[in-house]
Order: sequence, then C-alpha cells, then structure tokens
Amino acid sequence: MKLFDWRCLAVSSALLAVVAAQGETRPQYGGTLHVAVRAAPASLDPADGGPDSFGRRNVTRLMFETLVTTDDNGRAHALLATSWQAAPGNQRWQFSLRHGVKFHDGTALTAEAAATSLRVANPAWNVSADGDSVVIERDAADAEMLAELALPRNAIAKRTADGRPDGTGPFHVVDWQPGKKLTLAAEEGYWRGRPFLDGIEIEMGKSNRDQILALDVGKADLVEVGAEWAHRFSLEKRGLESSAPVELLALVFVRDARTPEEKLLREALALSVERGSMRSVLLQGAGQPAGGVLPNWISGYGFVFPAEADLPRARHDREQVRSAPGWTLGYDGSDPMARLLAERIALNAKDAGLALQPTSAAMTDLRVVRIPLASGDPWLALANAAAVAGLPAAKNKGSSVEDLYAAEQAALASQKIIPLFHLPVYCAAGAELKNWTVRPDGSWSLADAWLGSSKP
Amino acid sequence: MIFRRKLLAVFALTICVSVAAVAGMVLALTRRAFEKTEEHRTAALLAQFQREFNRQGEDAARRVQAIAASEPVTHMAAALEHSAGDSAAYFDLARSMADNYQLDFLEFVDARGTIISSAQWPAKFGYPEGAFESLAGASDQGAFLKQEELQDSTALGLFAVRADRVGERAMYVIGGRRLDKNFLSALDLPADMRALLYQNRGDHFSPDLLVDPAAAGNVADAAHPAEKFATLIEAVRQYDQEAAGIVQWSSDRAEDEVFHAIPLRGVGKDRPLLGILLIGHSRRSYVELKNRIGASALAVGGGGIVLAILFSSWAAARVTRPVEQLARAAQSVAAGNWNTRVVVPGDDEFAQLAESFNRMTAELLTQKERLVQAERVAAWRELARRLAHELKNPLFPLQLTVENLVRARMQSPEQFDEIFGESSRTLLAEISNLKAIIGRFSEFSKMPHPQLQPVQVNEILRGVAQLFQAQLQAPGREPIVCKLELDESLGTLAADPDLLHRALSNLVLNAMDAMPKGGTLTLRSRRDDGRTVIEVADTGSGLTPEECERIFTPYYTSKQHGTGLGLAIVQSVVSDHGGRIGVRSETGVATTFVIELQDNRDMLHTTEADGPQSNS
Repeated sequence: MKLFDWRCLAVSSALLAVVAAQGETRPQYGGTLHVAVRAAPASLDPADGGPDSFGRRNVTRLMFETLVTTDDNGRAHALLATSWQAAPGNQRWQFSLRHGVKFHDGTALTAEAAATSLRVANPAWNVSADGDSVVIERDAADAEMLAELALPRNAIAKRTADGRPDGTGPFHVVDWQPGKKLTLAAEEGYWRGRPFLDGIEIEMGKSNRDQILALDVGKADLVEVGAEWAHRFSLEKRGLESSAPVELLALVFVRDARTPEEKLLREALALSVERGSMRSVLLQGAGQPAGGVLPNWISGYGFVFPAEADLPRARHDREQVRSAPGWTLGYDGSDPMARLLAERIALNAKDAGLALQPTSAAMTDLRVVRIPLASGDPWLALANAAAVAGLPAAKNKGSSVEDLYAAEQAALASQKIIPLFHLPVYCAAGAELKNWTVRPDGSWSLADAWLGSSKP
Repeated sequence: MIFRRKLLAVFALTICVSVAAVAGMVLALTRRAFEKTEEHRTAALLAQFQREFNRQGEDAARRVQAIAASEPVTHMAAALEHSAGDSAAYFDLARSMADNYQLDFLEFVDARGTIISSAQWPAKFGYPEGAFESLAGASDQGAFLKQEELQDSTALGLFAVRADRVGERAMYVIGGRRLDKNFLSALDLPADMRALLYQNRGDHFSPDLLVDPAAAGNVADAAHPAEKFATLIEAVRQYDQEAAGIVQWSSDRAEDEVFHAIPLRGVGKDRPLLGILLIGHSRRSYVELKNRIGASALAVGGGGIVLAILFSSWAAARVTRPVEQLARAAQSVAAGNWNTRVVVPGDDEFAQLAESFNRMTAELLTQKERLVQAERVAAWRELARRLAHELKNPLFPLQLTVENLVRARMQSPEQFDEIFGESSRTLLAEISNLKAIIGRFSEFSKMPHPQLQPVQVNEILRGVAQLFQAQLQAPGREPIVCKLELDESLGTLAADPDLLHRALSNLVLNAMDAMPKGGTLTLRSRRDDGRTVIEVADTGSGLTPEECERIFTPYYTSKQHGTGLGLAIVQSVVSDHGGRIGVRSETGVATTFVIELQDNRDMLHTTEADGPQSNS
C-alpha cells in the first residue's frame, strides 16, 4: 500500500512537471516588454531623414508596415500589398492593397493613403492610387523596387494634422518622449491578430554598457549588444542573437582626393590598418575584416578585396609623397568602440609615417563611420553605403555580379571610403522573453514574442 | 654763493648722504635676509615635494603590488603562460584594474616587452613598451619618475613596476600616478609660494608642457603667460643643473616672483631629464618692504633737508649775522660813514671781531680827522703861500711906487706931479692886478651849477680842437699836432656844454704847457660799459706818481706861474656832472687825462620837465 502510494505520488509529480513545462513553452498574453536601444531618434516618422540605425529600424517596424517584406533569403513577400505586378522594363509597378487593414486611429488603409505615404518618402517617385492599387512609375528600370519598398523608411504612415505619423503595425504609440522613451501598446485590431505582449517600453539613447547593466539588473528585457561584448555573452551562454554581418565599419574621408599624392597617402592609410588585431582584441573576435563595401554574404565576392595590412607597401606609398599633412580622424564620442578603433588606426598609421589625430570633434578630415547596410539587396546596400560616403549612387546597369563588382570597385577606387569591418547586429534578451529572434537583416522578430512570466 | 647757502648745502648733502647710506645698508641687509629666507623655504618646499613624491610613490608601488597579486592578474599571467599570444581577452583588464585601484597609469607587459593591456592608451596593445629594459630593471624597486606617452600628449608620472611570475615567464605590471595639478595642489604651500611642473619634452620650450595648478583647465593664466619661464627652463635644459631667476609678470615689481628650477630625472643609465620643478616665491613682501624703506628714506631725507634748512638757517643766522653786520659796517665805512659801529652781543670770536672793527673804525675816524685837519692846514698854508706869492708881486711895486711918491714929494717937488701921474698909473695897474688875482680866487669859489642839455661830446671835442688850432700852430713855438680819435656811434648825453668846453679847454692848455717842444695832442672819445669816456693825451714830459696823486688838489701846481686851480676846476666840473676824472702818466713820455661821464638822460628829462614850471 505504501509502495502504491509512493508510485502514485511519483507519477502525479511527473505529470505536473510535464504540464508545467508545457506551460512555459506555450505563448501567453500580457506583460510589458522593456527594451533599451542606443538610437535616440527625434521623430517616429519612417520617412524622416534622421540618422539611420538598426535600433531605429526595429522601432519603426513595431508601429509601421511596408507594402512588401523580404525573407531571410531576400525574397519578397506580401505584407500590406497582397500582390504586385511589374510592367515590362520594371519601370511601372502596381501593388494591390490588402483589405481590412486599419491605421491605429481606426481609419482604413486606402490606396490613396498608401500613395501619399510613399510620395512623402520618395519625392522623386511618381506614385498614384488606382482603385485599390498603388501605382509606382519610375524614370528608369528599377529591379530593386520590391527590396526598396521593404525598407522601413518606405513603411506606410498616415500623417495627422499635427504631423504625428500613424501606422498599421502591431503596436500603437501611447507615449512618446522624443529621443528618450517610447511607450507602445498592443493594437487590439491588428489585422494579423493581437500580439502577445500588452505593451513595449523602449528606453532610447542608452550606451551599450548601460543597456547591459539594465539587462543584468532586470530593468530591460531586450538590449542591443556591442560587438566587443558578444564574445563574453557567448561564453556566459546568455540569450544572445545575432544577424548576418549587416553593418559596415569604415573610414570615410570628408572630401574627395584631389591629387595623386593624396590618393597615395589614402592608400597608405588603408594598407596600414591591422584589421586582424583589431578584430581579435578590440572586437573580441566579432565581425569580419572588410576589404570591400559589401559583405561576402551579400555580394558573394567580398573575399577578393584584401583586408590584411601591408605595412611595407604602406610605407612605400607614404615615401612617394614628400610631405604628408596631418589628418584629423573623427569618431562618435558616444561610441567607445569607435574611439578605440580610431586610436588604433592612428597608431597603425604612425607606423606607416602618417599623422592622424583622433578627435570627437565634428569637423574632421575623415571619420570612423558605422553604415547600417540598407538591405540584403546588394545594389541597395551599395547605393546606401555610397550615399553615406558621399559617393555618386551606383547605377544598376545590369544584374550580373560583374556589374556589381565593377560598381563597388569604382566606389573603392575613389579612395573616399576605407572599409574596416562588417559587423553583425547583436541583441540579448532576458530569460523571460520568449519566441524572439534577430533576423539576418538585423531586424527584431517580436510579433510573436511573449513574456514567460507576468510582468507589471 | 653766499655763506648761508653754502652752509645749507653742506647740511642737506650731509643728511642726504647719511640717509642714503643707511637706507642702502638696510636694503642690502633686507635683501640678504629675504634671500636667505627664500633659500630656506625653497629647501623646505623641495623636501616637502620629495616627501610627497616618496609618499605617493610608495602608495603607487603598493597599489601596483596589489594589482600584481590580484586574482585577475594572476589568472591572466597563468593563462598567458599556457597559451602565449592569446591576450585579446585581457586588453581591457588594465583599464578596469586601474579604475579599481585608482591609478592613472597601468599597463600589463609580457616578458618580451609587448603591451598586453594599457589603461592610459588602450589601443596600444601589441605594441612594444618604450624603454622596457630599464623598466624591467626597476622591477620590485621603489617608485620612479617616468614620462608616459599618451594618445595625443605626454604625461609625467610616478611609476612602479612589479613582476608577476607564473612559470618561467614574467609578466610586468607597470602602474603609476600622474604628476599633475592634483599632485602639486597636494603640496602644503605658504600663501606666497607656488609650485609648477614642466614636462621636459622636445628640443625647445613649449608652454603647453607647463603644469600650473593655478591655471583654469588647460588655459594658461593670461596674467602669467607660460612663455615667461622659457629662459629659466632653457637654462636648466642647457646646463643640466638647478637654476634660479626672477620672472617679471608686469611692470609692477611687486608682481615679480623668484623661481627656482629643479631638474627631475628618470631611471636608467643616463637618468634623463624628464621634468623641471618650478618653485616660486612672490617678491611682493620684499618689494613692499623695499618700497616702504625707500619711502621712509625719502621721508627722512626730506624731513632732514627741511630740518637742515631750518637748522642751517638758524645756525647761519647765528654764525653769519655778526659777519653780515661786519660786512655791512665795512660797506658803510667804505661809503664814507666812518661813524659806523657793529653791535655783537656775547664774548665769542665774532664779538671780539666786532669790537676790533669798532676800534678800527674809531681809529680810522681819528686818523681821518687828523688827516683832514692836516690837509686843511696844508691847504691853508698853500693858500697863504700862494696868496702871499700872488699878492707879494703887486704889493712890492705898490710899495716902491708909494715910497717913490714920498721921496719925490720931499726931494723933487717940481717933478712930483709928473712922478705922481706916472706912479698913479702904476698903482692903478697893480691894484687892477690885485683885483684880478682876487677875482680868480673868487671865481673858483663860485663855480656855477651845470645847466644840463643834450650834448654831442664829439662836437665839443671838435670845437675845442678848432679853438686851439691856431695856438697849437702859433709861430714862435714848436708845433703841436692835434689828432681826433672819435667814436662816431656815441649818442648824446646830458651835460653843460659850456662847463664841459671849459674843462676840456683847461686840459688842452695843460697839455700845451706840457709840450713846450711840440708833440701830439690826442682827443679821444669812446663808449665803455655804458659810460662816455673822453681822453686828452699829450706826448709831453709826463708826471711823477706824486704829481699824479696831488694834481687835482686846489692851488697845487707844478708850473712856475700857475694858480693850481685849472685841474681843480676840471675836477669840479666833472664831479658836478656825476663823472670821474683820472690821470695816467709815464714820466718823460706822455700823460693822459681820462674823463668818464654818465649819460644822465634821466636828469635831462627831469630838467626839461622842471623847465616850464620854473619859467612860469
């Protein structure tokens, strides 16, 4: 009898444990997700021309949606548009809108509203409404139209009279303190179904160190993690997710090289940079040394651009020029990694006989710049990087890899940009956040995320 | 310069020299005292700096030792011992350890001298540590001075090195604290002293390398530009030894500071000059004291001069009053006041001198009266002799004529009438002669007062020459040549032309009498010191010195038939015109009479102004 009782008790306990375990893995509604990001946008409008960053893109995606979206392989999928059709030559595109989608103010998404939103984001485009469809006409063939429409800056927003943008995303704005804090609440009538989370509070303008501290003390559930911290997070087996290398760290000269001597000096600088030691020490093994603008996973040929330092050649180039001016090397004062990189680059340059003065001042000869690649689409990514570097936009003259390589080679030959690293986007979450991930393009996937334990 | 001023000058000079000497001596003593004080205070501050240097060095060494013995560093040393080269995981360790242990500088360096981690320059990992050999040699010793190269500057620091040995290879912990404003501010300095630090770097002085605790941030005090230290710093760099100098911040000397520059050296064989400690003393107290002494000296000197004036005035009055009385009395006596007396109270030398002076004047007065009496007697005798002589000549014929008449009356009555007539004519002639003699004497006694009017002296001289021209060339006598040497620029003077003509005529007559054998008569006129000078010169027999002295005495004459009144009349005329007459003569050669006349034009105006009134 006694033995039977003990067996019953053991079976019951096992059943309870299984049920409890199933309860932990089953999505549940409720809770407020606390997020900390480094970006501090002054506006929520997706078409606003403020500084681009992955944090901002992710915040935008919580409130706004695009006509189409891309999967991890870069293929386009329907989102607010259910279907599309491109005229021959890819100059005229027609998108059929999804029915039943409403903005957060309750008004229905119409073709006219979508067209208006796109015209604001792309003044050069000819966008019009045609019944339930949106028609986009370009002056030239635009094979990257779908990828471009998938960018957060092309998200559909209805701008109210007071300039506040309203979206169709899974969360709507409850409170907005520009550059500081954004409070979102779940949109009950979201066309894809109410998200599990009741709300999201996003603290903005937080340094990587502050974000990690907030995560450690439980004040944040989801934070961005600097590349230099990623190795430690991995060792500590904390919830770290990363994207593909979608951020380009590069040196960008403010002005064009005017003389052959100046080009030689810039080449000497590019050759003097020891990306390997920087990656292993400063980045703690994160990222990939970059010789080209596009990462290898986007272009497929990134490895052909040498990223190793060649100090003898750098010195040789330097010696070809009688006198070299001292350059000021700028960095973002709020980015400790950028400062370290700048100081290391100055040391490397000194070995080659070049004088670089790192500074956080705004007016410099060249800067350490983080360029979030716009998309997995190589042409879009290249055009985006070229725009940041102040280079002419690369024209897609063909769909071949050779054309892309030629365009990238031309950008590098301008000696205006010196690629350093391609970095992934790293994010870490507390144990309570479930079913979330970071997609290869650096975006968060929070639509189906939920909190494992109820939070106030 | 009068005696009183001389006395004042001597007194003032004596006081000024005395005050200046005392002030200079006090200043010299003060300066020496201040210099000694400065030396003592500099030595004390240097000792304090050394103590603070040692204290902070020991503190830094303890912290470095603690870091070397800490678990993270030991763990790192062990990990690197087993997997050499895999130091990437520790590149940020130095920064966190430096923060924890409050060090400004901290580096982990492997046995080959390669930087594993650097707190002060994190990006320098993988680079060799400068002067690693000397640093390794200083391992486990006390703190030392080291110049640390930073990203964009250099800094001086107190460093210590500790070796962390795990296995065969050592890892070095090099840490320290910055020698900066905080270090200097920690020194307990007197109010008028300050300490600065110069980082010795480069070939020339650079203001940016000066650490001044008083400067706000890195901005140098505008009133104390760092360039002022250039000379002192260069002196230490050049001669590699301590130097001192005065730094002048402005035109106000009280702002000056005396700085002692003391070289600070690092470790190694050549002990490089890494820094220069500047210890400054304000000269304000010294300058203010010096100014006070100077002002006091000036005040004392000024007061002394005033006192000198007063005292010298009193003393001079006391000393010089009798002398001045004597001088005035002497001048009075010289002016003819023979009755002058000097009254000096007391019985000192001045009183005796005054008494002697009074006795002298009394004696002189007595002598003068005797002389006057004698001269008067002599003059009367001369007058009597001359009168007797003059009167004797006519009286003798009168006597003979009267005796002849008596004898003729008695002896020849028939011839009496004839003799009477003849004797009467003789008597009348002689009586007339007597009247003429008496008239001349009477005329001398009644010389008229000059009637002044504008006169051209040259015209009078020409008139006299013309008047006597005929007599000078008269037949029967040796000819006399008359020469006129006249200054034509002479103006007019106030004189009586008739009297002046008469006086000059008398002189010409005398000259003619002096040249019986002919000669040259020269009439000159000239201007001398505002006066008109007239000279009548002859080339006659000249006068003896005795004759020159007595020649103007009335009734004195060297001629056989002279009355002795001619030159007396000349002197009387000249004297009535306010002038002077003199004679210079060389016996047997020449005689020159010199008349000096004032212009007297003011008297002329008075006379003219009085004229109408008298006429009315």
